[in-house]
Order: sequence, then structure tokens, then C-alpha cells
Amino acid sequence: MKKLLTAIFAMASASCALAQETTTSPLEISGSVDTYFKYDFAKNPLNGKTSFVTDHNSVSLGMIDIALKKKTGKASFVGELSFGPRGQSQSIPDAAANNSSFNIQNLYVNYDFTDKFSMTAGYMGTFIGYEVISPVGNFNYSTSYLFTNGPFQNAGIKATYKFSDKVSLMAGLFNDWNLYSATRGVSAIGGQLMVAPVEGWTAYINALSGAGYGGYGTIIDLTTSYQITKEFKLGLNAANYDIKDSSVQGSYAGAALYPQYAVADAVTIGLRGEYFKAKAYGTTAATSTTALTLTANVKSGGLTFIPEVRLDHNSDKPFFNKSGAIAPNAGQFSLAAVYAF
Amino acid sequence: MKYIILIFLVAFSIDLSAQQKQFSKDDNGKFIYYKVVDSQSLSKDTLLQRAKSFVNVAYKKSMKAESITDTSILAKGTMVIDKTILVAGHPSGEVSYNFVFEARNGKYRFWLTDLLYIPYQRDRYGNFVATTKIGTPLELAPGKLNAGAWKDVVNSTYNKIEKFGNEFKKYLATDKAEKAKKKTETISTKKW
Repeated sequence: MKKLLTAIFAMASASCALAQETTTSPLEISGSVDTYFKYDFAKNPLNGKTSFVTDHNSVSLGMIDIALKKKTGKASFVGELSFGPRGQSQSIPDAAANNSSFNIQNLYVNYDFTDKFSMTAGYMGTFIGYEVISPVGNFNYSTSYLFTNGPFQNAGIKATYKFSDKVSLMAGLFNDWNLYSATRGVSAIGGQLMVAPVEGWTAYINALSGAGYGGYGTIIDLTTSYQITKEFKLGLNAANYDIKDSSVQGSYAGAALYPQYAVADAVTIGLRGEYFKAKAYGTTAATSTTALTLTANVKSGGLTFIPEVRLDHNSDKPFFNKSGAIAPNAGQFSLAAVYAF
Repeated sequence: MKYIILIFLVAFSIDLSAQQKQFSKDDNGKFIYYKVVDSQSLSKDTLLQRAKSFVNVAYKKSMKAESITDTSILAKGTMVIDKTILVAGHPSGEVSYNFVFEARNGKYRFWLTDLLYIPYQRDRYGNFVATTKIGTPLELAPGKLNAGAWKDVVNSTYNKIEKFGNEFKKYLATDKAEKAKKKTETISTKKW
């Protein structure tokens, strides 16, 4: 660890010294640390059906996340590693056995051929969906069903053309979801159209078709957010995923709405209302879940406290009550602390 | 030992003087960075020409001229504010501003005002991007929870604007044609 820190310090010093003589940007270092307490009202940790925040009645760890970025002329790289349950055993892939490894969040190089056209190759956070692995990138601390069931990351090569500040198009070739190296070759094609119709409103229309979860499939996704006033922001995510082989589990459809209102300079309250349908496969019928999550973000400098209450409902009773019997409802309270640097 | 104490005191006093730098406020209570510069040997037209070049060439990526008359320039711009950890750091936000320049024969003045801060957040690809399009006026006092962080933002902005102001003054004092001529001069090592 000491050697690693020394190396980072030396690299940073060198880049800083270089920056005084050239236009090269200094090495960017950023990251986050998060921890949480969660209490399941039925005292059953199995009631958490989405990613992360798994433990019940425990002060538990999220992850430490460290990102490096450097740009020299038109070329840049990003390397981002995370350590801890959120970035290891609970993320995909877990690179080593016994859940003891780390997770690469981003590892890619980028080249800006012009101000409008750039190409990127490597392992990147997915372009699909509203939520991300890093707690710094989400408003809610727990995650949505759409996030849990969609891709986390994509390795591949992509080209982005920016027509203007209001329109850009990305197209790329990718490996299977969430894998450092392909098991079925570079076998997925993906694209993203970004439009910003008015100031503060951005919409991404995404598609990814090819090797993915459950075989070969196609996911269509809309992710949009609109800062309507200084206080009020509205986000929306809707997605549909169909696996080619209808006998395989994993196809889904759903939508989530994210209204957020800043009640004070440092306090924002937000709701996530989600409808998620796991589609029928083989002889198994479809099942639907609705989830309501009320979250507050209280910020003080780099630190954010995130108290949250979450209620899930599914009439097919996938949850458990206090006595261990199956139940249609689940509820949890959590309090997380996230520090971003 | 004496030298160490002396160095410490000098460093401390430099630090104190750095902390004392702060924005003035204009008639409307907004932060303003205002400078009047004597430039005896330069005509109004030369000053205006150089100021136009500064906005349209040197800072073309971050500034946009809104209106130009024969004595003044009004431009809008943004500058990225950095958060520093030891010797490295990352962008923490951007400040948009209105830039006003007015020239007369032998002197000019310029000021930056309407300073709006937009914080950055790291996106899914590890890049720092604006979290909103709506900026917060820099002179607006935040609540107690974020007072420290806001003070850092204001100080960083002042330092960045001061650097910008010094670059602008240097740019206007420099004859670009003369500078270009000097650059093309070649040195022969055959004779000496």
C-alpha cells in the first residue's frame, strides 16, 4: 500500500512538474468511500432483491473507489478500481475466487480526433440505464430493479460524434455484459443517441444487441433527466430486454421515475417509483414488482448522508415476513454515508 | 533553526496574505473583479484589437464575444475550478462570467462579474461533468453545512480570475507581430 501511494505521489508530482512546461493536464485523482446501516422491517436480509445494501442490522461497507485520469494532447485514459463488497463480491465480475478481488470500474483509453469526433476502447461503465455502481453517481443509495437486471459495464470499442451541444451519436462493438474479456467474441453492437432539446433537459436513447445476460438478446433503454427549476429535477428510466431464447430467464421490462426537490441549500429529498416486470420464460409466468423509495441527501462538503426508506410489493410473494413465511411486501430503512474526494 | 523559523514565518505570512484576497462587490451587491490599467504608449484601437484577439483567438474555447463596439467588448465565458489534493486534483466545478472591456487612448479597464458556480460530479465514465445547467451566484452565502466548501470555491475562483486578469494584461501589453517575428529568428552555430 505504501509503495502504491508512493508511486501515485511520484506520478502526480511528475505530471505537475510537466504541467508547468507544457499544456498537458495534471493527473486527476478522485474517488469515494461509502458505508451504511440497513434495517429490514421483517429482519430478513433476503428481502433485498436489488444490488448492494444487502446486510440487515449491520454497519456494513460499501467500497473505496479510486479513479485516475490523465489527458495529454488529444489522448486520455481513465483507470478506476474499487475495493469492498460493493465493488467486489456484489459487483460483476469478481475477478478472483473467494470474493477477494477488486473490480475494475473503468479502464479505457480515449482519443479525440477532432473536437467533434472521438474513439474509446477498453472497459467502461455501461451506457445503459439511469443508475451506476458508484454511490456518488446515484441519488438513492439502494438500487433499482432496472439497474440490477441490466448491464453494469461493457468492454468494447466505441466512436462518438458530437453534431452539436444538443445532439451526439455513439456506436460501438462490445463483448458480453460485465466481462473483462469476451467469451463469445466481440458479439454485441450498441448505440446511443443523445439529445438535449432544451436547456437542462438531456435524453439518451440506448440500444444494445448481441451477447448478454441469458444468451443473445436486445435491450432498448431510455434515460432522461430534466432540471426544471433550480430546486426541482425529474428523471426517468424505461427499458425493455428480450432474450432470444424464450426458455431462458432474464427478459424484463420496466420504468422508474425520479423526482427530486432541493428543500434547502444542503438538503434534497427524492422519490424513486419503479415498476418492474420479469418476463415469462419456459413454463414460468411473468411477475411484477412495484417499489417506492424515499431518499434524502444531506450534503456537507464532500460528505453526503443518505437516509432512505424503501417499500417493495409483489403479489407473487417473493419476500418474507418476520415469521419467515412468504409475503407480498418488504420494507427497509437504511442510512448511508458517502464521502467523495 | 533560526532559518527554519524565519522560513516558516515568511511562508505563514504569504499564506495569510493569500487568504486576504477576496472579491469586491459592485453596486448590485455582486462579486466583481475590476481593474483599470495604464497603458500610455498604446492607442485605443490597438488595445481593442488585442482584446478582440484575446477573446476570439487565445480564449476561443471558453469565451464568446456578445457585442463589440469601437471602444468596448462584452463577452461571456466559463472557467473550470479545480479541487487540489496534495499536488494532484480534479475539476470541482465551473464558473460562468460576464467579461467587460473598455478602452481609451493610453488606458483601459476590464471587469468580470455575474459569477455563477455549477458543481461537477464524476459520471459513469470517470469524467467530471456539470450536475446542472443552473448556476448559483458566487456571492450567495450557503448554509452552515457547506460554508467551508463554498469558501474554498470562492477562493479558488478568485485565484483563477486573478490569473486570468494577469494573462489578459500581459496579452494586451504584448505586440503579437513582434513576438511572432522573434520566434522565427534562427541561430547559426557556424560563426561565433
